[in-house]
Amino acid sequence: MPINVKKIESILQNFVSGTSDIQGATLVSPDGLSLASVLPGGMDDERVSAMSASMLSLGERIGSELARGTVDRIYVEGNKGFGILTSCGEDAVLLVLATESAKQGMLMLEIKRLVSELKLVLM
Amino acid sequence: MQRQELGDFFSVICFKAAISGMEEALGEKATAIALTTAGRARGKQLAADLELVGKGLPLDVLASKLAYALGKDGTRLCIIEKIVEEGDAIRAYTSETLCSSGEAQGSSRRCTFTLGAVWGALEAVLGKRFQGKHVESVLQGGSHDVFEFTVLG
Repeated sequence: MPINVKKIESILQNFVSGTSDIQGATLVSPDGLSLASVLPGGMDDERVSAMSASMLSLGERIGSELARGTVDRIYVEGNKGFGILTSCGEDAVLLVLATESAKQGMLMLEIKRLVSELKLVLM
Repeated sequence: MQRQELGDFFSVICFKAAISGMEEALGEKATAIALTTAGRARGKQLAADLELVGKGLPLDVLASKLAYALGKDGTRLCIIEKIVEEGDAIRAYTSETLCSSGEAQGSSRRCTFTLGAVWGALEAVLGKRFQGKHVESVLQGGSHDVFEFTVLG
């Protein structure tokens, strides 16, 4: 069954517009192809997608080579905010961008909910 | 800077060594993603250089233009035999791909950069987004390296 891109876009749009401190979100295939995205202006969708899939893959390799087990998420914290990569089943990788003022606990909870919602569409 | 003596070409052996080194450091998957992405960018740039972006050419015409640009008289990335529509998919039949070069028969290696280059060119010329896959391999007994593209979304 084809992936319902419109539905995924709608879920991401609601997530970004309805959650304070979230600046963008994108769902990409494990081979780095953008499935749906709501990103801040000026960010290249294709580049972000390839980077996201590569980072998760690299993270998985680090998990394996350095005996860290299965990677749940990759967390990038900069002085201007967060970038959080989360595996979203076998078929997708989710990247969420948040401001530096985002509360991390809330952020993780919101991402967990979003992943559950997206997985239902991807099934 | 132009290479006065050596020109534009270098050996597949060196390119394959670069890929092996990347795979050693980054893993096969991350390397494949990077190379496929690089290939797509190359394909899009090639379409732009050939002034084919958005032209929506018939697939046989597109195949002949890409075959010339990427084949023996071009950059020698691969030979493109044909690009055809089969059912809901577009299939590109290629041979002598850079990615398969030097691999042993039975190798599980898939095309990455070559797949990406054809993929990017198709997207740019036809103005559509595709999901691309390497579906038949000369390393697995196929007559061609076949890339299959299905419209995304």
